Amino acid sequence: MDAVIDSDADELLFESPLLSPPDSQSWDLREEYADDDILQDYFDDSRPLSTFELDDQCEGSQGPPTVVPTRDWVIGRIESMLERIVDGLLTESEQLTISLKTCSRLSRRELGPAQDTGTIPTPKDIQLSYPGNNAQDARRFTVVVRILELIHCCLIDGVVMTKRYNMYYRHPDLFGKQSVVDRYVDDIARTLGVSRSLLNVTAAAKGLIAGNFSILPQTPFRSNCFFKGLLVPTMQAGDTLEMSCVHWILVIEKEVRPFVASMIQLTHSQATFRSVLSSPLWNELGIQGLILTAKGYPDLVSRKFLRELADNSPHIPMYALVDLDPDGMHILSTYKYGSLRLAHEDVAHMDIPGVYLPNLQWLGVQSHHINRAPGNEGDTATAALADVQGVMKLTARDRKKAHHMLEWGVCGEHGSEPTWRAELQRLLMLNIKAEMQILDELRGGLVSWLSYQLEVMQGGSADDEILF
Amino acid sequence: MSKQYLTLHTLSGAHPSDIFALAPTPKSILSASGSSTIHVHDTTQADFPLLQSLEGIHPLGIHHLATARDVRRAASAGFEGKVKIWSEGEDGAWKANGEISDQLKPGDVWAIALSADGKYLASSSINGKINGSFGMCIDLSRDGRFTASGHENGSIYVFDNDTGRLTHSLAGLVKPVRSVAFSPNTTLLAAAGDSRTIALYDVKSGEQIANLAGHGSWVLTLDWSDTGEYLLSGSHEGKARIWRIETRQCVATHSHGDKPLWTAKWLPKSTRSEMFALGGGNNAISFYREAAG
Repeated sequence: MDAVIDSDADELLFESPLLSPPDSQSWDLREEYADDDILQDYFDDSRPLSTFELDDQCEGSQGPPTVVPTRDWVIGRIESMLERIVDGLLTESEQLTISLKTCSRLSRRELGPAQDTGTIPTPKDIQLSYPGNNAQDARRFTVVVRILELIHCCLIDGVVMTKRYNMYYRHPDLFGKQSVVDRYVDDIARTLGVSRSLLNVTAAAKGLIAGNFSILPQTPFRSNCFFKGLLVPTMQAGDTLEMSCVHWILVIEKEVRPFVASMIQLTHSQATFRSVLSSPLWNELGIQGLILTAKGYPDLVSRKFLRELADNSPHIPMYALVDLDPDGMHILSTYKYGSLRLAHEDVAHMDIPGVYLPNLQWLGVQSHHINRAPGNEGDTATAALADVQGVMKLTARDRKKAHHMLEWGVCGEHGSEPTWRAELQRLLMLNIKAEMQILDELRGGLVSWLSYQLEVMQGGSADDEILF
Repeated sequence: MSKQYLTLHTLSGAHPSDIFALAPTPKSILSASGSSTIHVHDTTQADFPLLQSLEGIHPLGIHHLATARDVRRAASAGFEGKVKIWSEGEDGAWKANGEISDQLKPGDVWAIALSADGKYLASSSINGKINGSFGMCIDLSRDGRFTASGHENGSIYVFDNDTGRLTHSLAGLVKPVRSVAFSPNTTLLAAAGDSRTIALYDVKSGEQIANLAGHGSWVLTLDWSDTGEYLLSGSHEGKARIWRIETRQCVATHSHGDKPLWTAKWLPKSTRSEMFALGGGNNAISFYREAAG
């Protein structure tokens, strides 16, 4: 059931520009039709010589199996499927076939007037074969096998992957368009009789966290482990946070290398992915803290989670790393104040009262991070950035937004954020902006820079402690 | 041969945020910053006391400020998009003397310069009404004949104010040009920016005649001494340099902290030794004097 509803939601997301996921790039509509072929002949049975039933336990039923499915159970199902395909290849079967239960290919016309009343249609069994009748059949088969393989990897590693970043972007040429991934993932979930989340697959994920903390009590997935990447959870009553190893909390605007790989194992190329993951610097740094990104303007779940962290562990400093541009600063303000414009006037007018982070500190990027000249001491914090490609001109929109933000109460002359005001003015003066990726241009890269900055900040707080 | 300049006085915390512009008069210096207020300090006394504050005049901060050389007039440009004109009365107090805001949107007017007689105001525009690229800086020659503008795309244009025609389009600086300045006798034009070198052009021919290299960071500000013998420059990393034009050499370097040095200005020569003032991201104004001898 879950899968059906999710599927509909995703269709909506991907078809309406207004509802496009926050991290979406614009969809190339030209692709929209080119890849319909892959779905078109979906129903053509090709009289399989040998058929692999994906799921014999819940055959004929789309509800969950009688045994509550666990991760291990799902892994077992997928493994046995993949094994049978391998066996088929080894025994030189003439044709390999996968059976799926699907709803998504049923058109309104097919459903008929009686069924077209909002009820969930009965799924239909279909078969994918290899080799099939044509190239499209082969491609469909490949798509499903690849998706099964990806899901299997994620389940084994205990990481959550997104249909967009971790699946579609890996093989855009194979999948052709996002909806192909969406439909087959849902079909696999339906066939196994589990929700999509049990496959560790999510729609375009918003907030992600990584770090050395635990949430107790939770499922075995979530406790006592060093998170490499997890969707921001919603804290339930009774959940407790184990944060004793966390010395800082870092909020970053977006997934950037090397956090990308660490946080959601996003990758366009496996080589990059592996090299970054094995970065000893990240391992060293990551074990000391917690990193969260909501990918752009933060969603409420992420903000609420941070607020929980702040309430739970007020002694742990919280830093923000955002782009040096008006949007980056607006994102910073959204984390800190929620809906900024009203924050200074009346807290009760904020979109969600109480979900703000007054102690959030702005780690960077700030304009002084890019004004160092070569010839100075060449450590990572003072290396030259001013001339690297990442420094860009402000657009007309950027300038307009910056002017607009200068009118905000907190950016006012006597407002609570004099640094924001000053940085906005400096950007306007210099007419420059820079994305946080620019820090990766420094020697040692972003992780090294971050490590240095956190040390400086932590050093400051250590001095304070001595006073007490 | 190097030259000695001594720190005379520093006004720490002269403004609560970055000082973006200094504009001298014969007896005082006006300063503007990211705050809404212009301060006027007395430059005839050893401790440079505050004479007047024009408060709350540009609520979003002031990015440019200029004074007319020969008359008691000033102009200020704020981030909200207005340009205000100021006049100094006989009693020495500055008063508002109108504003230019006709249909101006924030950013329409960026850099400003006043003619020596205070009758003309030249301005550059963000959207690059002059040939399409953001006009980051502007200057009027002391004799009033020429206007020069420096642009983000590296262009430098010189216009003849009598005919309104473009007389030179100067090549040489590919990167954003953040400051242009005519020499007092209008024979030379200095221009500099992100390329870190200062280019000197012959105003008559448009030829580039020199390159002054030495700054390690973007050059944000340029100003000629009264006699035209020296050029003062300030950079994004807080360094001020003084160049002797005759030899084209840097004769002195001063550090004004490590924050951007937005503005560096010579004070009009009134005594034997020349003085200059620096203002920038450390919120302080420092005054220097040529060492006697």
